[in-house]
Amino acid sequence: MNTAHAFHLPVKLILLVLLLVISVLLSLTIGSVDVSITQVFKALSGQVSEPLIDTIIWQIRLPRLITAIFVGAGLSLAGAVLQNVSRNPLADPYLFGLMAGAGLGATLVSIVFPDHVISLALAAFLGALLAVALVFMVCVGSGFKKMEMTLLAGVAVSFMLSAISSFILYFAEPFAANRVIFWLMGSLSRTDWTSVGLIAPAVFVLLLVALAVRRQLDAILLSDESARSLGVNVQRLRLVLLLLTALVTACIVAQCGGIAFVGLMVPHMVRYFMGVTAVPLLLGSALFGAIFMLWVDNLARSVLSMQEVPLGVITSVIGSIFFLLMLRRQLR
Amino acid sequence: MSAPIYHLEQLSLSYAASASRPLHAALAEITLTLAANDFIGIIGPNGAGKSSLLHVLSGQAIPSMGQVLLTGRPLYRFNATQLAQRIASVAQINVPALGLSCWQVAAMGLLPHKKWFEHDTDTDRQQIAMALEHVGLFDKQQATTDTLSGGELQRLYIARALVQQASILLLDEPTNHLDVQYQHQVLQLLQQLGKTIICSMHDLNLAARYCNKLLLLHEGRVQAFGTPEQVLQPDLLQQVFALPCEVTVHPTFHWRQVTFLAKDMFYTNAKQAVL
Repeated sequence: MNTAHAFHLPVKLILLVLLLVISVLLSLTIGSVDVSITQVFKALSGQVSEPLIDTIIWQIRLPRLITAIFVGAGLSLAGAVLQNVSRNPLADPYLFGLMAGAGLGATLVSIVFPDHVISLALAAFLGALLAVALVFMVCVGSGFKKMEMTLLAGVAVSFMLSAISSFILYFAEPFAANRVIFWLMGSLSRTDWTSVGLIAPAVFVLLLVALAVRRQLDAILLSDESARSLGVNVQRLRLVLLLLTALVTACIVAQCGGIAFVGLMVPHMVRYFMGVTAVPLLLGSALFGAIFMLWVDNLARSVLSMQEVPLGVITSVIGSIFFLLMLRRQLR
Repeated sequence: MSAPIYHLEQLSLSYAASASRPLHAALAEITLTLAANDFIGIIGPNGAGKSSLLHVLSGQAIPSMGQVLLTGRPLYRFNATQLAQRIASVAQINVPALGLSCWQVAAMGLLPHKKWFEHDTDTDRQQIAMALEHVGLFDKQQATTDTLSGGELQRLYIARALVQQASILLLDEPTNHLDVQYQHQVLQLLQQLGKTIICSMHDLNLAARYCNKLLLLHEGRVQAFGTPEQVLQPDLLQQVFALPCEVTVHPTFHWRQVTFLAKDMFYTNAKQAVL
């Protein structure tokens, strides 16, 4: 019987949940104002005597931490789902040129229309959707049979939209250009409870749908033909999951800018430690992605005094080192 | 004769013209009845329509003309899940997915019988264990598929088909790339399943040894359908495969054995016999 796997998975998931809870509690103590763990517990249970601590915990740190949790979980989930449905280990949530689209939206609203007809987040979201729409327009006729074509279309759209952004930035005044470039590097500094409200539902929907079709996701790992022979409507499954992952990523990009490598790296680590089938991969990616993003944000907030390091810089450094080490291990 | 399971009526299948290929008729005017629990081998040269016929029978290719009846009901009336509950397909090339265990691949067979969020029950686990036991892979249930030999992999996909509980098994050249030992192992296993087995085969001697019915296709049309004794006729085979051949009967087991001769070899031998 398959008892070994059945026993290990719940244990691993409980450990990850515990690690997440501990990470949240510790992260609440990290910041420019010293807050002890006792004060954190008191603030969370509504017994705090100092209103300042209460405000710091409830209005500043907690919304940012919870956003970090959903950003990490969402990007990792999106990466895991995309890698499975495309059977491509290099698939990434930004594969539709989402980042370039969001960048173009942010650039336009900051530089060309500085009066802010719409908010930067909304412009970024619309830009990301534009990129997805362009990729889908190219690929929908083929029914997403050839996933490598979708990936290539994403690369092409990405270059096209980036070129437009670069052109605008080249002629922009430096301060505005700096603002857009910093935003593109990713940050949770502008997030609040509204960000949680926008990102969390999208992540939950993706997780629920992916768990509902977990058997289909496993079947597609072998081949499209094999999945079809088991009754899976491969094209419909792919279309629904591609749209959902694009929506989750667009929500995240609009709120937090570009945070590279998380969606690519976390699913690979989870596959190695927890397994390749959908349930451990999806739950593991969501939990591990959340923990990873929490600590990356802690690092971003604390590594330099009085200044934040862009999240995308930290995730790219960690991600690229991780990938090089993984490649070296595989090549041996 | 057992009850008919498939009935094909004036079935034709054409592939649409593309930039690289003109309109191509893969199957033409096939009328045929296949009986339940037969072990049917589809034979014929490359491009005869063997794989196309399997695609039509599995519901993955839609006929251009004519129709396929499965247990008396048109195939198109079944949805994908209903088809998967009745028909299990084992494709020609099954690339093992890295990291998947034998147990996990066999468990995929549960898919057509499960609803969203439905968990595996103890009965399901028992069924997977029995299927792996049946194909001799119980001891390798935790082994990853990339560590299996070609024969083991083929047997694993048969185990998945057993878990699928389908009464019909369609296999596209199941003995391809297998050495002699595994070829016999896989075919013996199929023979013992007691299901309707329909598989395309290149090796006529293996087909004659294990199948109780043979379907000879040539250029998308049925050339012969019947027992190996009826189908494996030298004249017919020579016409279809464009090679002279001899059909002999095994002295002990009475299986048909086909030996193809190179054209020049045949004429040299014939000339020597005349002289």
